[in-house]
Amino acid sequence: MNTRVSITNPYNGPLEGDNAFAQITHNVSRIMEAPRPPLAWYIAFAFALGLLGVFGLSLGIVVWEGIGAWGHVHPVAWGFPIVNFVFWVGIGHAGTLISAILFLLRQNWRTAINRFAEAMTIFAVVCAAVFPGVHIGRPWLPYWMFPIPNQMGMWPQFRSPLEWDVFAVGTYATVSVLFWYMGMIPDFATFRDRSTSTVRRFVYGLVAMGWRGSSRQWHRYERAYLLLASLATPLVLSVHSVVSFDFATSQLPGWHTTIFPPYFVAGAIFGGFAMVVVLAVPAREFFGLKKIITLKHLELMAKVILATGMIVGYAYAMEMFVAWYSGSIYEQFAFLNRAFGNYAWSYWTMIFCNVLAPQVFWFKKLRTNVWVILIVGIIVNVGMWFERFVIICTSLTRDFLPANWGAFIPSAVDYATLAGSFGLFFTLFLLFCRYLPMVAMAEVKAFIPESHVHDH
Amino acid sequence: MNSQPKKPKYWRSLAELEGDPEFSEYVAREFREPLEQTPLSDAGRRRFMQLMGASFALAGCHYREEKILPHTSRPDGQIPGVQTSYVTVMDVAGVATPLVATSYDGRPIKVRGHREDQASLGGTGPFHEASILGLYDPDRSQKVMQGQTPSTWEAFDGALLAAYTAAQKAGGEGFAVLSGAHSSPTLARLRNELKTELPQAAWYVYEPSHAPGKERGAELAFGKRVRELVSPEKADVIVALDSDLISAQSPSGLAYARKVSERRDPDSDSMSRIYAFESLLSELGSLADHRVAVQPSKIAAILAFLEGTIGSELGRATIPAPSADVLGAELHKVLSVVVRELLEKKGKSLVTLGSRYGAELHASAHRLNVLLGNVGSTVRYVEPSETLSGGVDDLAALVADIDAGKVKTLLILGANPVYSAPADIPFAPALGKVEQSFHLGLYRDETGEKCSWHAPEAHFLEVWGDARVQDGTVRIAQPLIEPLLGGRAAIEVLARLLGAPNPSSQALVRATSHLPTDKLWRAAVHSGRYGAAANEVAVEIQAASAFELPSAGELEVIFETDPAVFDGRFANNGWLQELPHPLSKQTWGNAALVGPATAEKLGLGDGHLCEVTIEGRSVSLPSIISPGQAEGTIALTLGYGRTVAGVVGGFLNPAEPVEVSGVDVYKVRPSKAPFLASGSVKKTGGRQELAITQDLWAIDAIGKSGQKQREDQLVRETTLADYKAHPDGIQHKVHHPPLLSLWQPPVSYEGHKWGMAVDLNKCTGCAACIVACQSENNIAVVGRSEVTKGRELTWIRVERYYKGDAKKASVRQQPVMCQQCENAPCEQVCPVGATMHTEEGLNDMVYNRCIGTRYCSNNCPYKVRRFNYRNYNLETIGTTPYTGTDDRRAKLKAMAFNPEVTVRGRGVMEKCTFCVQRIQNAKIVAKNQRRPLKDGEISTACEDACPSGAIVFGDLNDKNSRVAAAQKVPRAYELLQELNNRPRVNYLARISNPHPELSEADEHKSEHH
Repeated sequence: MNTRVSITNPYNGPLEGDNAFAQITHNVSRIMEAPRPPLAWYIAFAFALGLLGVFGLSLGIVVWEGIGAWGHVHPVAWGFPIVNFVFWVGIGHAGTLISAILFLLRQNWRTAINRFAEAMTIFAVVCAAVFPGVHIGRPWLPYWMFPIPNQMGMWPQFRSPLEWDVFAVGTYATVSVLFWYMGMIPDFATFRDRSTSTVRRFVYGLVAMGWRGSSRQWHRYERAYLLLASLATPLVLSVHSVVSFDFATSQLPGWHTTIFPPYFVAGAIFGGFAMVVVLAVPAREFFGLKKIITLKHLELMAKVILATGMIVGYAYAMEMFVAWYSGSIYEQFAFLNRAFGNYAWSYWTMIFCNVLAPQVFWFKKLRTNVWVILIVGIIVNVGMWFERFVIICTSLTRDFLPANWGAFIPSAVDYATLAGSFGLFFTLFLLFCRYLPMVAMAEVKAFIPESHVHDH
Repeated sequence: MNSQPKKPKYWRSLAELEGDPEFSEYVAREFREPLEQTPLSDAGRRRFMQLMGASFALAGCHYREEKILPHTSRPDGQIPGVQTSYVTVMDVAGVATPLVATSYDGRPIKVRGHREDQASLGGTGPFHEASILGLYDPDRSQKVMQGQTPSTWEAFDGALLAAYTAAQKAGGEGFAVLSGAHSSPTLARLRNELKTELPQAAWYVYEPSHAPGKERGAELAFGKRVRELVSPEKADVIVALDSDLISAQSPSGLAYARKVSERRDPDSDSMSRIYAFESLLSELGSLADHRVAVQPSKIAAILAFLEGTIGSELGRATIPAPSADVLGAELHKVLSVVVRELLEKKGKSLVTLGSRYGAELHASAHRLNVLLGNVGSTVRYVEPSETLSGGVDDLAALVADIDAGKVKTLLILGANPVYSAPADIPFAPALGKVEQSFHLGLYRDETGEKCSWHAPEAHFLEVWGDARVQDGTVRIAQPLIEPLLGGRAAIEVLARLLGAPNPSSQALVRATSHLPTDKLWRAAVHSGRYGAAANEVAVEIQAASAFELPSAGELEVIFETDPAVFDGRFANNGWLQELPHPLSKQTWGNAALVGPATAEKLGLGDGHLCEVTIEGRSVSLPSIISPGQAEGTIALTLGYGRTVAGVVGGFLNPAEPVEVSGVDVYKVRPSKAPFLASGSVKKTGGRQELAITQDLWAIDAIGKSGQKQREDQLVRETTLADYKAHPDGIQHKVHHPPLLSLWQPPVSYEGHKWGMAVDLNKCTGCAACIVACQSENNIAVVGRSEVTKGRELTWIRVERYYKGDAKKASVRQQPVMCQQCENAPCEQVCPVGATMHTEEGLNDMVYNRCIGTRYCSNNCPYKVRRFNYRNYNLETIGTTPYTGTDDRRAKLKAMAFNPEVTVRGRGVMEKCTFCVQRIQNAKIVAKNQRRPLKDGEISTACEDACPSGAIVFGDLNDKNSRVAAAQKVPRAYELLQELNNRPRVNYLARISNPHPELSEADEHKSEHH
């Protein structure tokens, strides 16, 4: 069957099958079925694994030596780890948004990208989940934040926004995994049925949970999908709202802001979509998915990025206005310091990346150019990381009492941890690309013209 | 990243201390096995019992038994686990400070001031508080050394006695003793006995901080030797000329600090007025109502003007006043007001001059006090008592005698002149020429290393001793523990020479006291004092002669002893190395302090390296800009750059060198002008990272404007006149909406309600509270590199703000500790409930429960929570609290821990607890005695230490408590009140009392709208 597969890229051959349904199945399944992935996959995987090693090493240093290995200092008690946490949680928004909200809104174009957007969500949440655990002073005790009945009579303190985080992120991760997995069941069955090796048939058979494609199964499946989508929808809004409470409910000038929940959610969707395009552009290139993830999809995502980017820009402006309007000298100073103080460079990097760069998407020519989309996507991701840095670190460097003011200088371990978290993300993502159905075949098929031949 | 997590560089072991089985065994077994099995390798169990028994018996008058172990019947009053306190005294360079040392099961853990003692009134300085750490310093000398080989006390005694006997035959010729300054009457007695035995022997005293100006000035002014005692509490006007009157390093300075601050209460009707003319910011200058920065060379002109003008006004002209041109218009204007006010307040004023000035100027200051009628009221003169004192002259004489071949045997008692000799006195080469040199010291230091013999000296908490305070009475130093490392007191070594076969320090001290009965002796030990005060002496001005008015030098160099490590003797003390300098906030080193304009002229900035040259010798050190310092001056701090101090202060051992902390400026100190020299400075390029705890980063323009905008609200102040006119003006420094809360306070605080008041009118920024807190609460030393990052752990910090423009700045000091908010932001955000509110309103930290999210610190607007980023106590407590450590150095250090306070490990947030262990202890005592707690019964460590009484702690529910009264005055305000955290600490605004003619119209006025 795969005789025409080339050595360099097995996915560039013409599509097989005599109709669109078969072509889609083939197009997606051959990624898993090819004896070996393209060279680029190997290179990417080796690189990702290397970074993952850096991640392990840097966390090892931190656990061994204490978090003094990072650059945290007296006034800046939260540094890169929390920045990374918020960054990754933010990335994890696009997946569920695409799967759940766009599903409920009948945005059918989502089917081409929802699967790997969901995968991206899961992996981003995995990356995020690492940080709260290791950033604490005694990283062997994070389970004390869970309400586990114990002989010591300890119980979490539920007034703490960090405690809310535990539940918000935990719920979000659970529902996202369920949603993702359930969506994959029909496709796993397809993989199982096409498998030529026993091992593969067994493994995919196991995860397909006995899917036979009967109309009863489809009926149940569609209902469950709808229900899960409805459940997941509020979570998209809640998880980052709750993460923003960490800051919004505190007293620190620069954190203590009511605008944070919507601003964080918009920022998360913005950053999440940017990450989706950053992953989608090379994926469709390397895995021959251009016919499924079309330029139309990319353009729609660029529009979402433009819209959410402007919401974020509005939030930046509003923060400044409210600081001035508040009449509080500490608020005013926090924002002046943000824009013109020692860390002004990070603020203006953020403004450039998040407010200015996406403006190119006003032009159709630019938002349909994959290179432009890719580059803007990367810039937006950089900008969103800086947004969290600006909020978290620069606010902490200078708060109320000037005698306390300090500086935050990240250590080498900080950079290694940041880079390493990308290693974890890409390792998981590359494994997903290779072994799991990257595109929701069943859902895509439901929306191709052939499915609707009997329509009017 | 630290590549050696187990042994951070800062605590690295000394090679020479390794492989000492005796000590190892001693310390290793101390806690491991029952006491009965504890052997001393050469003494045996029985001997150990005797020693311990004797130490208990000697240590206090509570335990009368001579042999008390094992306790088949427990001695009366001794309860295991209950602290006992003993009165003692610490002498630093001849300045005696009465102390109370607290012992926990026979182990001293804390010293504090002796409140009932008039010589200190309870205050302490940083190095008194830190003496506990010095006691348990494993770098202290532990064995007798002959050259580079270990030896024994017997051999040392034999060699010394042989030299002594040989000298005796020649009438003492060739025998010389060099000691530091000491006020001990026993030491003085033994010196006299030695002189009787060896008439030709010489005794030299070298003390680097010795400043004889005041005493010699009195001699010059009055024609006789007298000692000046002052009563600043009686002075309505104080004119402080570069004064160190209230410094912890000055005789009675701590008592004077308390007395000066008594008159700084704007809520009474008797607030004093202080004028300070000074080059550096001093403690007294920081309290001053008018502070004028002047070069040291100007002080002569100021004195001459004051004396000349006042003398002629009173018709008793002594010297002519210089013309106004010499002073300059501005200074002349201020001084004219000062003259007028001094004349108005005759007999109720005080002129005080800094000890670094010479006899002529001091004579003028003494005469001024006489002219103003202050003698008898604010100033008294008494007969001086005999003490050991001496400075560069003595050392120069010694070196000359050695060079002349007059010294064959030199016995050095405690002094370290190889390190601390002025640059132009070649003591080290001279020491090499002495046939036999014997060194008795706490450390085998620079001098000990070069002597032919070295023997360990005992710490003052290990042996009996005595010291004389300013008024002539004697204080007894009680030991709390047998010498841990086998040291002996200097008086014991001397007495042995003089023929006592086995002298005990107790017998020697008692012999000096001449107290006839045991009962009297015990009473003296109990109160810590005996003897009558020195007789008052009437003085009269002798013929005065005008003195030379020096012209301003290009650059006047001021040598100062360090507020923390003093002259270098405390350089191996981690608490003191890490203590921020009151002005520069520098730790772990020294710097050249320069005024802003001078720095600009020289191109210097914070951390810029510069080269200071004096008389052809130069030294390179970083500079720090010090606003408010007189331009044209540069201040160098003695006491750093020790090369044989230990693993803390620095140790240039070729095998395992330890970073030397700071720069040794003795290398440029001229013997002719040891305190005020002239020299030149040039920038050499290059920078050094400074371990400073405030303004860690250069403050940019935005930061400066932000700082300026809020300082009025944070450190509130006004003038006395304004305060009297608008008492609530202080409250109006901040305008905020009504402070409402959605919730009812969860706790009603029906029992106790702990609170604190910090009087900014009294705080001088001396930093004693920081060390006291560190000692009481087992706060870890983090080391230079961690301070450089900003990770120091001190629970109380003294925030320093400069007021006014950079060139005429005055300083404001604000101690900030946990504010124990009733509506605490930290409590709400801890996910694991590690910081909780008690029914008495404390924010308790549950270290065991803390997982280290650090959210509490982020949400604390005062940022008083400190996080243990690395395992700073790793070496002392072991990898886990359960395993402990077998390292004998660590075990010795661990003895300094207060057993009432948890030693925190890595990854845990810590903060001020209002000394909750003291609160609990006092409550237990009161409950057992079935009585309510009395106000003042509980004091926090910072309150205890504060010489000026700026900190008051107590129960706010007790309407008669001092703290309740303090919080009721109109100038009491809460820091960041507008956040509605309801802090339990109130600050009392700084109210200055400027002269109406000099008060600047725009300054300090309350905005009242």
